[in-house]
Amino acid sequence: MAGNRKNQSAATWFGPAFGALFLCMLIAGSAIGYVWEKDEIFRLSQQISQRELRFGQLSKDNEKLKVTLADLRSPVMLDQRVRELNLGLAPAQPVQVWRLPEPSAAPANNYSTRQLAARQAGASRTQ
Amino acid sequence: MIKRLQLRRVLALTLLVCVTFAGLGYRLVDLQVLRHDELAKLAQDNTQREFRQAPRRGDILDAHGNLLATSIPVKTVCADPSRIGNQQAVVAHTLAPLLQMAEGELYQKLFPRISKNEKGETVTNNLHYVRLQKNVTDETWQKIQLAMSQISFGVDEKKLSKTGREFLRNLRQNAIFADPDQMRVYPNGSLAAQVLGFSGVEEFKLDGRPVSQISGRDGIELALNSTLGGVAGWRVTETDRQQQELVALRDEDVQPRDGLNVVLTIDAAIQHNLEAALADAMQKHTPRSITGIILRPQTGEILAMASLPNYNPNTPATVTPETRNRVITDVVEPGSTFKIVVVSGALNEGAVKLTDEFDCEQGHFAFAGKILHDHEPFGLLTTEGIITKSSNIGAAKIGIKLGEDKLYDYASDFGFGQRTGILLPGEVGGILHPVKEWSKVSVAQIPMGQGVAVTRLQMLMAMAALANDGWLMRPMLVSRLEDRDGHVVQKYEPQRVRQVISEATDKQVVNVLKTVVSPEGTAPGAAMRDYIVAGKTGTAQKANPAGGYFDDKFISSFIGFFPADNPQVCISIVMDEPKEGYYGGLVCGPVFKEIAGRCASYLNIVPDENPGQPHLSRPIVASTKNKNNFQTP
Repeated sequence: MAGNRKNQSAATWFGPAFGALFLCMLIAGSAIGYVWEKDEIFRLSQQISQRELRFGQLSKDNEKLKVTLADLRSPVMLDQRVRELNLGLAPAQPVQVWRLPEPSAAPANNYSTRQLAARQAGASRTQ
Repeated sequence: MIKRLQLRRVLALTLLVCVTFAGLGYRLVDLQVLRHDELAKLAQDNTQREFRQAPRRGDILDAHGNLLATSIPVKTVCADPSRIGNQQAVVAHTLAPLLQMAEGELYQKLFPRISKNEKGETVTNNLHYVRLQKNVTDETWQKIQLAMSQISFGVDEKKLSKTGREFLRNLRQNAIFADPDQMRVYPNGSLAAQVLGFSGVEEFKLDGRPVSQISGRDGIELALNSTLGGVAGWRVTETDRQQQELVALRDEDVQPRDGLNVVLTIDAAIQHNLEAALADAMQKHTPRSITGIILRPQTGEILAMASLPNYNPNTPATVTPETRNRVITDVVEPGSTFKIVVVSGALNEGAVKLTDEFDCEQGHFAFAGKILHDHEPFGLLTTEGIITKSSNIGAAKIGIKLGEDKLYDYASDFGFGQRTGILLPGEVGGILHPVKEWSKVSVAQIPMGQGVAVTRLQMLMAMAALANDGWLMRPMLVSRLEDRDGHVVQKYEPQRVRQVISEATDKQVVNVLKTVVSPEGTAPGAAMRDYIVAGKTGTAQKANPAGGYFDDKFISSFIGFFPADNPQVCISIVMDEPKEGYYGGLVCGPVFKEIAGRCASYLNIVPDENPGQPHLSRPIVASTKNKNNFQTP
């Protein structure tokens, strides 16, 4: 039998050899793929972990900045600062406010005839 | 031929192999089948950890999105006493200044405490856990970590055994740890304290370990506790020896649902103006308490609400019974402000006209065995004059003319005797007895604000109804709920309760109320230069629990709105036992004027064309020839 195989043509044993090689490559490929997948999972989990940490840190910073902003915008604080700095700021009195009558709705093609509200005859100070 | 001995040996070997395999097989069945549940749980406990993911408590914002209450992330620093060995003194000395604790107290906490758990097993400090300090900032926690990593125990560690070195390494790394936590912060301090309320920490056990969460105790914090609180999530994962999570082995990860942000109708700037003005008045008149409310009559939106004395919600220790929200929790006899109810009702029913005249008996009116008094003697007064001069006897006679049933109906329709429905805990409904429980004099007393008990908010809502064409509105404190990204989840709309009086009657009443701030009225100090004001004063003697009334204790009030013909803002000021004067118009009128002026500037309210001096539409004192022949029923 062995003597017979020696006399077989290359085409006859190439098929099983190719099959064996393919099987080996498949197994090796699967193993490499498995390791790569595990490595990828580890790498991505590291990324997730880092980004979660970063997100958490940014969220904390955001909360702190929100509180700082609220402090700065607090009416109580602003009032106190105005007094401390002696700025003399006070709400505008009605006599200090100029009120302009609402311009009447003019047709689009009549744009040139429109006037600025402040120049209209009816515009005046209320007090 | 196989020898007999060989055969025996083969059989013995086969038997041995079979027995071995049978033993292994039994062990396999025992482990995988018979003890599967027990061992699976044990394996899971050894590898898996479940973490609670606390939701972030929602913020409370004012109408313009200014932050009124928020939560900031902090740490709760804990220790595992079983890992500290006998090094308590060194650790306590290192950490006490950072944790701002007494060294002795910290030293005591670091000792393991042996106790028995529910199963009767001996445990150390319940899962190796003792809480050292709450509300520790991230910066402090980093300092603690640094201090622990550099802590020196006064020994040459190179000479220690491997076990000794391992123990110290473990102590430095794992003996002190921190749990994430939140702290509630109110950036504006005491601003709108009674509206916001305050919060505390609620503790419960999860897997034998104490877990704390913020819980509302009063105000909006309590009323919307579940909305603000959110829903906790969880994470099932595995950890390494340093208790660091192995993210790749994370099993379940359910994110928490953060609490919703609550946007109030309160305007922080108006609230500050109100509180500043009330504080000034408190200093000037030294009342036991002073309250103020500012409201938009057309919608019922509350722009500001304050009650002094108040507290700082950042330090709940400042909360006392005296700092309660008296606007909704306290009832008082309203006094003359209640006259708006009887006059509105009588005009609406056609029982009286503005020109009708009533004999006010020169300040003494005997009715049903009682003598009713006025604060000064009046003769004949028109209906308008009764409001302008705030005559008790005139109001009593209008009440008698209106009748008990109608008087009760109108008082009830204006919302007295029932809660307004404001979204705050602790509101009371006041007292308005049914007619069958009235005494004979009730029909004369109630119109002058005696024999009924109302909250400050109820009285303001009744006045706001007059500023809103007779429509009573439900007070609104919450404008909308938003998620963290600012998307509106729920919007609250103004709610009409009922129309109490017709629009025509309402116009008449408003015209009458304008005269109150005239020089002839009871509150000229409330008149504004650029706006026509309508309002009513009240000066009620305080009821004596022993019976009758105190002669020297008053509840003084002024409730008004402006501009009278297009009301934008309705304001109530009430003082409890003011000194330096006690008439409502005298002590509360100027406070109203000051607050109204600030509101007008801030809200840019268009001034009235010709505010001038408020004038009377007709003579308030009639001649004797026109005397109304009033008959008491």
